[in-house]
Amino acid sequence: MGMPRVPDVPRFDRRFFDGSERFTRIGEGSVGGKGAGLLRIHDILLSRLDPGAFPDFEVSIPTLTVVATDVFDAFLDRNDLRGIAYSDEPDERIAHAFQRASLPAEILGDLRALVEQVRQPLAVRSSSLLEDALYRPFAGVYATKMIPNNQLEPDARFRRLSEAVRFVYASAFFRAPKSYVRTTDRSIRDEKMAVVIQEVVGGRRGERFYPDLSGVARSYNFYRSGHARPEDGVASLALGLGKTIVDGGLVWTYSPAFPKASPPFGSVAELLEQTQARFWAVNMGKPPAYDPTRESEYLVEGGLAEAEEDGTLRLVASSYDAGSDRLQPGLHGTGPRAVNFSPILVHGALPLNDLVRKLMADCEAALGEKVEIEFAVTLPAPGAGKARFGFLQVRPLVVSHAFVDVSASDLQAEKVLLASDDVMGNGEVPGLRDVVYVRPDRFEGRFSRRIAGEIAAINDRLLDAGRPYLLVGFGRWGSSDPSLGIPVGWGQICGARAIVEATLPRMNVELSQGSHFFHNISSFEVSYFCVRHDRDHRLDWPWLERQEAEAETEFVRHVRAEMPLTVKVDGRSGRGVVIREA
Amino acid sequence: MKNKAFNPFEMAQAQFDKVADILGLDQGTRELLRQPMREYHFSIPVRMDDGTVRIFRGFRVQHNDARGPNKGGIRFHPQETIDTVRALAMWMTWKCSVVDIPLGGGKGGVICDPHNLSQREQEQICRGWVRQVARDVGHVRDVPAPDVMTSGQHMLWMLDEFEAIHGGHYPGFITGKPVGLGGSLGRTEATGYGLVFTVREALRELGIDPKNTTASVQGFGNVAQYAIQLYTRLGGKVACVSCWDQADQTSYTFRKKDGVDLEVLRSITDRFGGIDKKKAKDLGYEVLPGDVWIEQEVDILMPNAIEHQITGENVERIHKRVKLIAEGANGPTTPEADAVIQKRGIFIVPDFLANAGGVTCSYFEQVQCNMNYFWEKDEVLGKLDVKMTSAYQAVSEVARKQKLYMRDAAYVVSVSRVAQACRERGWV
Repeated sequence: MGMPRVPDVPRFDRRFFDGSERFTRIGEGSVGGKGAGLLRIHDILLSRLDPGAFPDFEVSIPTLTVVATDVFDAFLDRNDLRGIAYSDEPDERIAHAFQRASLPAEILGDLRALVEQVRQPLAVRSSSLLEDALYRPFAGVYATKMIPNNQLEPDARFRRLSEAVRFVYASAFFRAPKSYVRTTDRSIRDEKMAVVIQEVVGGRRGERFYPDLSGVARSYNFYRSGHARPEDGVASLALGLGKTIVDGGLVWTYSPAFPKASPPFGSVAELLEQTQARFWAVNMGKPPAYDPTRESEYLVEGGLAEAEEDGTLRLVASSYDAGSDRLQPGLHGTGPRAVNFSPILVHGALPLNDLVRKLMADCEAALGEKVEIEFAVTLPAPGAGKARFGFLQVRPLVVSHAFVDVSASDLQAEKVLLASDDVMGNGEVPGLRDVVYVRPDRFEGRFSRRIAGEIAAINDRLLDAGRPYLLVGFGRWGSSDPSLGIPVGWGQICGARAIVEATLPRMNVELSQGSHFFHNISSFEVSYFCVRHDRDHRLDWPWLERQEAEAETEFVRHVRAEMPLTVKVDGRSGRGVVIREA
Repeated sequence: MKNKAFNPFEMAQAQFDKVADILGLDQGTRELLRQPMREYHFSIPVRMDDGTVRIFRGFRVQHNDARGPNKGGIRFHPQETIDTVRALAMWMTWKCSVVDIPLGGGKGGVICDPHNLSQREQEQICRGWVRQVARDVGHVRDVPAPDVMTSGQHMLWMLDEFEAIHGGHYPGFITGKPVGLGGSLGRTEATGYGLVFTVREALRELGIDPKNTTASVQGFGNVAQYAIQLYTRLGGKVACVSCWDQADQTSYTFRKKDGVDLEVLRSITDRFGGIDKKKAKDLGYEVLPGDVWIEQEVDILMPNAIEHQITGENVERIHKRVKLIAEGANGPTTPEADAVIQKRGIFIVPDFLANAGGVTCSYFEQVQCNMNYFWEKDEVLGKLDVKMTSAYQAVSEVARKQKLYMRDAAYVVSVSRVAQACRERGWV
């Protein structure tokens, strides 16, 4: 899969929606990793998808133009930004310095022409060259900025767009990507960023603009559930913008082979509690506080009552009927709503699941390996036209096929530091010496932001020293809600080779099973252990406490084991252990 | 001196008559547009540094303000004539109209040679000039700007005098002010960049990728330098530049076939903007006579120096490879040369379209001053690109549809807009 040559992509002719091409470029350099993924979809849709096969859908890549990497270089060089970019300055300083700089004059006319014609939300996404060169997704590491682009004045729209482009450029040099790149054999100096400017799929509802649903689907599931095999894949759907999925929020995750099977919730009450209650949208209303250096400047969250008022729950939710203590698909009565996509997945209101499976199969065939796809869908009003399926991204998935056998009895072996039958990943990592863990006696959800900071500092130090480690914490790693877990970004824990999500009686939540960092952990082959205190999982806390601390902060201990540890994960059974060697 | 007999105003009128015929303008409109609407001629007494008093003659010509306040520079030149000022005022009307900015055309001047005047004496001329016309200029009537031998400093003296007379702050009275004192970011780049925006569009129309082109540039002043900068950023290669040498009182062409390096050349210029011959040679540049820029084997010629550079005498020396001439200077091509260029089928971006980036940015400066809110450079240059591109496209569409030479098409577009404004106002 080589880098797409730029001449393959037609030049932006200053007509965004009316031009003959829906996929164009500004500039001459590379289109970066995300741009390359989009080009692949473009080819796959052209060559493989029979437009008549899914008459209920209009399947397309949302209109976009890519600002190529040469513009990024010109921006850095002409504004003399490399000094601050490669420095250790805090993210907000870097963002501010980039905001004060001027974009290359060659592209300004194109950007201006774009906003003069387009008055609907735009997503300004990073498309990193390293991401492509390393053949590794930097999912969630760089910024995506959504802008409403609905101001009356083209001047105002132009300012917002150029601010968003500068912000995305700056995000290449934030702390998280710097740490992330350090885990590879490359340097941040090799980084070049293309920027994808793309229409946001969705519809305007009052002061919000969002798709009825967003989704991420993978053709291989590292984490089995029920009857589904790993090859059956897994899909996650959310109401509104895909940010809910990317951020590791509560979403509906199911096996595309068994779309009618509900995830294993203990009761309807639990289901109501553990399904999506908030969604993200682009804010089309009153301008927010001006802050061009904030990624979510123009995003707004809504609740299910607002979605219902907007008319977007009809095909994505079910209603709780107290009389029968059951969920009824669709909207009925006044009972609580659960976003479980039952009208579509169970009752076949739209063959969305079939389409997703077909696209995954096409992408697999085209790329010759397992894939992850991202999409956003707007549903038609009853009896009116087609649903729009915006195909947003395809990425290759790294699947390890190394044969590792972990039997049930291995979980009980004497030298086991930790053992679980809820493990994601596959393979063996010998020779780990460092363990970073959140101290169970001190842990409380309300401190989780501070804990995140402490871990990030240790992560930085271990990265510098080139020492991979085992990370242990409570609740969902990377949750954006600190009460559900520790709100780290991937860059703050990227030195870990094995990650443990544990529960405590006072932190007894549904674990993320790595969903937030799914792509990162799978591509870097990091294994992910779920250790529940209320199941037959083991974690030898006393042993950890006995190890000498190399660093100790208020909530976190970093210990160095005298003897190396070995991580073993059996991808077929989902069993995994960390063994203390003699 | 052949040029002495040359009367620029007669030439401007002849050009207008030709377009008036194409457009079939009525007699009243022709008479109105052939002449300036208003002229001010006045004396400026200045007490010189040696105690004597000298009287300088000053002018302001307002050619036509049907589309908006007059706009045009103020020239300090010892050989200034009223006919030059009239011609330049008329060209300003067409230039503002071709880029579709809501301004009319004007021009002013003072017969003087700033080289022989102290700063104080120049300041007195500026203030004296404003005192004579203070009631007839201003942001809603006529907006001056720097021109030949006047600078941002002159504009500030004039602004100060104007504000003293009117008792308030009127930064929109005059443009070309320094950034921070009412000037606009992007003004320095505007003319050169604007020129290259039109070059880019012309190449697109000709189906040529800028990366596969080379250019020869006459001049190494502000316009030429920024034109070279943007053109090379678009992938083009500048094979040579010609430049005036103050000491030798002649010009030289500096050639490097694999492309000149703008930053290197800038680093070896003297205070008059001339390139150091010896250093250039040491850096591998060929130093050739000043007039050979025109005969280079290149795709694009950019005459960015002064008027009357492509003439009946040298037009045949243009290499057969040349496909495009973009006139960054005012009036670089004489009518005889123009006829040859047209016959040879060389595409031309005419001066008042090609170099309109400057006045467009002056207009932006005035707009910013009137609201006392100043834009980022990106915003200025983004707007400039769109404005220049739209102007180019409007002209090229007329040229294509009416099968006109680009220069005639540009005149057709601009004169028809002005004539229409006069008609709609009920003047004619």
